[in-house]
Formats: sequence, structure tokens, C-alpha cells
Amino acid sequence: MPAESSAAPEASRALVIGLIGLAATALGLLVSPASAVALSYLVGLTYWTAIALGMLLLILIHHIVDASWSVVIRRQWEHGLMAFRWLGVLFLPLILVSLFYQSDLVWPWMNTARELHGGHTVGHDPLYLKKEGFLNVRAFVIGTAAFFLLWIWISARLRKASFSQDADGDTRWTFMNRKTAAFGLPIVALTLTAAIIYWVKSLEYHWFSTMYGVWFFANCIRGALCCGVLIMVWLLGRGNYKGVLNSNHFHSIGQLMLAFTVFWAYVTFSQYFLIWNANVPEETFWYNLRELNHDGTTNQWWYVGLVILFGHFFLPFFALLSYRFKVTPHIIRRIALAILTSILIDICYNVLPALKDSHGDSLPFLSINLLWVLTSVAGVGGVCVWAYLRSFPTTKLIPIRDPRIAESLTHHE
Amino acid sequence: MAAPLYGLIASFDTARDVYHAAEKVRDAGFRHWDCITPMPVHGLDKAMGLKRSIVPRISLAGGITGFFTGMTMIWWTGAVDYQLVVGGKPLFSPMFAFPVSYELTILFTAFATIIGMFVVNGLPMHYHPVLKYDQIRRGMDDTFFIVIEARDPRFNLANTKALLEQAGGRAISELEA
Repeated sequence: MPAESSAAPEASRALVIGLIGLAATALGLLVSPASAVALSYLVGLTYWTAIALGMLLLILIHHIVDASWSVVIRRQWEHGLMAFRWLGVLFLPLILVSLFYQSDLVWPWMNTARELHGGHTVGHDPLYLKKEGFLNVRAFVIGTAAFFLLWIWISARLRKASFSQDADGDTRWTFMNRKTAAFGLPIVALTLTAAIIYWVKSLEYHWFSTMYGVWFFANCIRGALCCGVLIMVWLLGRGNYKGVLNSNHFHSIGQLMLAFTVFWAYVTFSQYFLIWNANVPEETFWYNLRELNHDGTTNQWWYVGLVILFGHFFLPFFALLSYRFKVTPHIIRRIALAILTSILIDICYNVLPALKDSHGDSLPFLSINLLWVLTSVAGVGGVCVWAYLRSFPTTKLIPIRDPRIAESLTHHE
Repeated sequence: MAAPLYGLIASFDTARDVYHAAEKVRDAGFRHWDCITPMPVHGLDKAMGLKRSIVPRISLAGGITGFFTGMTMIWWTGAVDYQLVVGGKPLFSPMFAFPVSYELTILFTAFATIIGMFVVNGLPMHYHPVLKYDQIRRGMDDTFFIVIEARDPRFNLANTKALLEQAGGRAISELEA
């Protein structure tokens, strides 16, 4: 079994794709309004941050429940954590633009003089004033910086303990990781909730939903599980994971994918259903914007919502019920790709309707802005994949001295 | 008053022995036979050529029944049998019918799974011919057994005995039904 393996050509390719994507997104500023490009870029950032957070959560959950089957996969998620520092760097332009160029370019509430529908300003809006203690620029900037620093710090602890154990086999590293998991889980849960509220939910600061953090959490975990599957199939095809993985590893990760598909649907449906049932205008406007134009005609986001319903729930749900689909690498890989696409559409659905025309209607989904979403996803993603691949050859392929490695290698249903 | 023959039982000392013997019995094409082991032996299901259980399919059938029971019940009571406008909502919408349908999906899935499991595995079973075998208790301690039933179409007392012997079985005995 090759313990270490290079991935240099793949890493350079990922970096090139990343830089081209970022450059293309920047060129978008010459074609589209800055706010449209900025929100598309926010989609790309949120998407990859979700996946990195999911990997962090899965490692923490692995340690807190003392899991055994996922030991051989955990190492790859540990490499994925290297994305956080670059995501932090890539987030900077949005903050700098808001601080020094145009305060309401991305988040409308950052400009208290911004005029609202009806004549008054954000600064005189009771719904803003009530939330001002949380929604203010200083809290946003300090918060975002703190979130990234905390994620980077917890990641560094997990990586250090896991990698050190490869060398000395000392079980104290396992106990250190268990402690990190115990305090890391509540920290990550709270910070990811605050982050998604600041970054995405506050785009429509009138709106509220107690499900929002949970909705994001579900997407984080689903994204990381699907990336885990892609990595498993990739390393199996390359020969690295030959003799390491058996069909039960695919079965187990597939079961988690199924569980979180149902969990995501439960949370997302609950949010929609409670708002539909209560029928309070301060909440329903958020979905109205995603279904109807002001003249009552159906807009494109209504169809996007249906694509999410079927693509993000029904399709993966029924596909993942099958044992055969879960344990056949090329099939579960396709399911993972479908879910990863749906997560992107789901984040688009949450971010992009904040762009509105002069009537206050959301701009259509199929527009030039979708191109900037794709360039941003490629740009941010290229950098994240490069960070993963650069970390990949620095350690053993699997944690060879983890106390549960033998259980993981012989994982059985 | 000889009781009819139930089958043959052979004992094995190790999990490895019973595993390889199971492969031989499987390859000989037997269908009505089983292994008795003191602990779960990983991979024995494959060595025995067992297919995956059909219980998941029964569960799925239960789930689908539950979902449509919920939807139909709420549609019929609210939109057909006793029409009542509640909270300005339509007489029927899958929205408000969903939580109940979802719960009935889970409930019926659970019922179907548990009932399906008992139907498929034949439990509770108060009598089994191997219980008359004086060494059977060692199957909970340190001995592994293979039992081949006489109703199997390939069963032939002499040949099956030879097969078990050749597979490494010891103390091959005939079981009364």
C-alpha cells in the first residue's frame, strides 16, 4: 500500500482553474453591475465554506462518537480543512468593498442612509433598529474574522493531533481530538449559524427564520459527505485506496447521505411550511420574491424551487434507498455530483433573489449572473481543491496508528 | 418409533473451518441449510451465498402505504366528507397534509419492518430439531455447526455425509425432526 502519494499535477491544475475562475469573475465587473457580480461571488464563497465546514463537523462528530468506520476517510477531510485560510482571504474583497467602496453593495443594511420602498431609510426602519445590535458593520467584520480564525484554529488542532499520531502512535492524540471535538462542536455550530445569518440571511434583513442555521448545517454536512465520496472514488481509481476501502465504507457513507437528505428536507420543508401556514407578510415576502413577480406572474425562481424539491430531495432520496446504488462506486459518485449541484442551486436560491429590478422583482435565475456564479464556484473551488491537494502528500494516506484503524480497515455491516 | 430424519449436523472447531466448509456446501448447490456459530462471523453470509434480506422492500412498501394513507385521509375528511375552511387555507393542500403523512410514513415503515422481519426470520420459534442434539449448547460457546436439511432436493444421506466430512466436519450426526 503506498503510504504517501503525490498529487502535484492535479494541484497545479486546480490552482490554474481557480485563478482563471477568479480572474473571469473580476472581468464580470466590466459586463454586469458590481452588486450582481458580488452576490454571485458570495454564492461561490458560501458554497465552498459550507463544504469545508461540513468536513470540519464530520471530523468533530467522528471524534465525539468515537467512530471507527470513518477513520480511513477522515484523513482526507483533514486535508480539506486547509481551505479555511484561503476562504478567509477570498472573503476579504467583499468586506473591503463594503468598508471602502460602497457600503450597501452586498448587504443593504450596511448603509443606514439607503432608501427603502416607501420613502424612509434603513436607519429609520424599526425592523433594522431592533436588529442593530447584531446587524452592524463592526459586529459583521469582527464576527467574520473571528469565525474564520476559530475554524482555522480548531482545524489546526485536529490536524496536528492526527498527523502527530502517525509518527508516534500515542493515544493521547486521540484524547486531545476528543476534547477538541467536545468544545469544537458547539463553537462550530454557533459560528456557522451566525455566519450564514450575517452573510446570506441578512441580505433580506426584514426576514426571519429560526431554521436558517440548521438548513445551512444540513447543506454543510451533505456537501462534505458528497466530496468524501468523490475523493473515495478518485483514490480508489488511482489505486491508493485499493485494499483500504470495502463496499461497507460506501454503504456507511451512503447511509449518512440518505439520513442528511431526509434531515435537509425536514428542515427546509418546516421553514416553508411554517411560513406558509402562519402567513405573516414579514416572512412570506421572502418566498413571494422566489415565486411571483409583483404583477402576479410566476417568475423563474418558482421553477428553481421545484428543481430543488426534486433534485435536492426526491431524486437523491429514492436513489440512496437502494443498497446496490450505495455500494457501486460509479453510481454513488453520480448521486454525490447531483447533490453537490443541488446544494449550489439551493445557495443560489437563497442569495440571488436579493438582486431586484426597479419593480422590486427578483432578477431571473437564467441570466448572465449565472455565469459569474459558475466562475466564482470554479475560482473559489479551484483554490480550495488546490489547498487540499497541497496538503494531501504531506502525510500518510490513512491514519496508520489510529487506535481504531484496524476496525476501520475491516469495517463490516 | 424412529422419528423422520430432519437433516445432518457437523461440528467445526474454528470460524475459519466453518467459513470454508460453508463455501463448499454453497458451491454444492444446497438451499435448505444453515450455520450455527457462537458469535457473528464476518463474511459468513457471503460464504453461505445468502442474498440480502427482503425486509427493506417490505419497509418501503409500508412507507409508501403510510404516506398515501395520510394524504388520502386528510384529503377525504377535509375536502370531501366534511368541508371546512380553516385559517383561510384551501380545503386540501399537500402542505398541511404533509406532517401527518410524514409521520404515518414513519409509523407504517416501522410496523412493516418489524412485522416483515418476524415473518421472514420465522421467529418466535418454540421448537427446532437441533435442540434435541446433545452438543448444541456448545454452539453458544466454542463450537461451530453446519446443518443441512433433509428436505433439500440435493440431500442424499450418504453423499451429503461425505460432503460434510470432506469439508472438514467432525462428529456428523443425524437429527430427528
